[in-house]
Amino acid sequence: MLVAVVAALFAAVLIPFKALTIVPGVTEIRPANAIPVAFGIMFGPAGAWGVAIGNLIGDIFGGTFGPGSAFGFAGNFFFALVSYKLWGNLAPLSSGEEPTMDSARQVAELWVIALAGAAVCAAIIAWGLEVLGQFPFSVLGPVIALNNFLAAAVLGPPLLYLTYPRVREMGLLYPDVMDAPALSDASSSRSTLAAFGLAAVSIAWLVIGVGLSVGLGGGAFIGNTAETFGQGGSTPQIALGAVAFVALFGLSALSKSRLPAALSAR
Amino acid sequence: MSAAPTLYVDRDTFVHRLDPRAKLAMVLALFVAAYMFEHPLAVATPLAVALGVLALTGGLRKLGRIKVVITALFLAGFLVWPAYAPARGPVVVSTPVFDLTEYELLFALGRSERIVAFIVSGFAFITTTSNEEIVSGLRGLGVPYAFCFALGTALRLFPTFLGATGTVKQAQEARGLDLSAGGPLQRMRNYIPLLIPVLMTAVRNVNSQSMALEARGFDTDRERTFYDRRTFRAADWGVTALAVGVVVGVIGLWWLGVGQL
Repeated sequence: MLVAVVAALFAAVLIPFKALTIVPGVTEIRPANAIPVAFGIMFGPAGAWGVAIGNLIGDIFGGTFGPGSAFGFAGNFFFALVSYKLWGNLAPLSSGEEPTMDSARQVAELWVIALAGAAVCAAIIAWGLEVLGQFPFSVLGPVIALNNFLAAAVLGPPLLYLTYPRVREMGLLYPDVMDAPALSDASSSRSTLAAFGLAAVSIAWLVIGVGLSVGLGGGAFIGNTAETFGQGGSTPQIALGAVAFVALFGLSALSKSRLPAALSAR
Repeated sequence: MSAAPTLYVDRDTFVHRLDPRAKLAMVLALFVAAYMFEHPLAVATPLAVALGVLALTGGLRKLGRIKVVITALFLAGFLVWPAYAPARGPVVVSTPVFDLTEYELLFALGRSERIVAFIVSGFAFITTTSNEEIVSGLRGLGVPYAFCFALGTALRLFPTFLGATGTVKQAQEARGLDLSAGGPLQRMRNYIPLLIPVLMTAVRNVNSQSMALEARGFDTDRERTFYDRRTFRAADWGVTALAVGVVVGVIGLWWLGVGQL
């Protein structure tokens, strides 16, 4: 029950910041893009659902609700979920500590996680909108990835530094509110392997997606790309997305979070 | 910050009285039509229907709120798509930098119109369906209650948090915070004094909200009921059948090559 409450409340928190855009347009540089990483790490699955629902409600209140909203939902869900799954699992990059952001190593770990999260979110949204024939992957993917990463990298560390100790004190971190079976530990090596796989799939999907979109698989940009755009995305692009989704779900299931271990070692 | 966030238009029209599931079916049919057609004239059909619904239900006025977003999306699509379309047909615009063929022009126009058709169709649904109806409609479609509860609670809490954000913003600005100062990175950092108080206000609410719910014996695993319970009436069945007919018809036209470039 508390998971639903956390998701709902944090979804509601996300929405006001969706309106605080810095550069209005196709996609905005939004301070709210820092929230998925921080919420994913602190609130785990509840944070992921909250961010996804928040994005959907943002579309409803913002008047941009449409078929693309489904991909915004999925993209933001994975943005937070990847952050939750990756924290502490990226040895030797991981600090092995709680995300209190009081060491350079923690900040570096957060930046790596922000990069993977930003990439997977961008890939899902760009893929979805290309399939819908709204915008080419190569146009939207890099823009969303850059926006997401910049906000998460710049605002993520101070956000966690200021909120994490308070949230922990209130007993609202996901290891404190989730049932014990949901936190069942996997072997460290399997989790690390799955986490690296998640990060690799996230970044590779974005890079390959852009490549396919600009026609790198079949020749010159524009000329050949034009032929691949029939109705929606090209067949290789659709296949890439399908494979990436299966990989993301599979690796997410295999990877277990390390935050509970960091908390118990405190 | 907007003081009146909701886009719902409280009227008693035929469309408003429809079951949210029937409205959702019709919106999906408009999405499918906008997606299947390529020619700008064909894509204009679902767009015109959505605009017609907005005009009949009083939502056209609210469309002005997102005119900047619609214009930006249309222009962005119109500028981007010619680079991704085959250079077929006669050249209609020739410049020293690029040539624009008739096919490229129609392709870009059709795609940009599709983006607008998607948004306006969704807008027609939002302006005629209240938040409570959206949630009960999703539950009626079999979406898990925990999800519906999270969505419904978030929808209800949104104005509260929007107000809290506005208050914090005013308070911080009174202390000298200038959100628009500096370059992009600095402007992003300017939001830290705003983000933290709003987030912590929400975090504090989690405890009190969950205790209040637990005290009332709330449990998401049990089947819940809605105050506003609707039955699927004849009109709802009629609109749903119409939506199915539209989808079948559009697929048939696509099969025949109608509305394609």
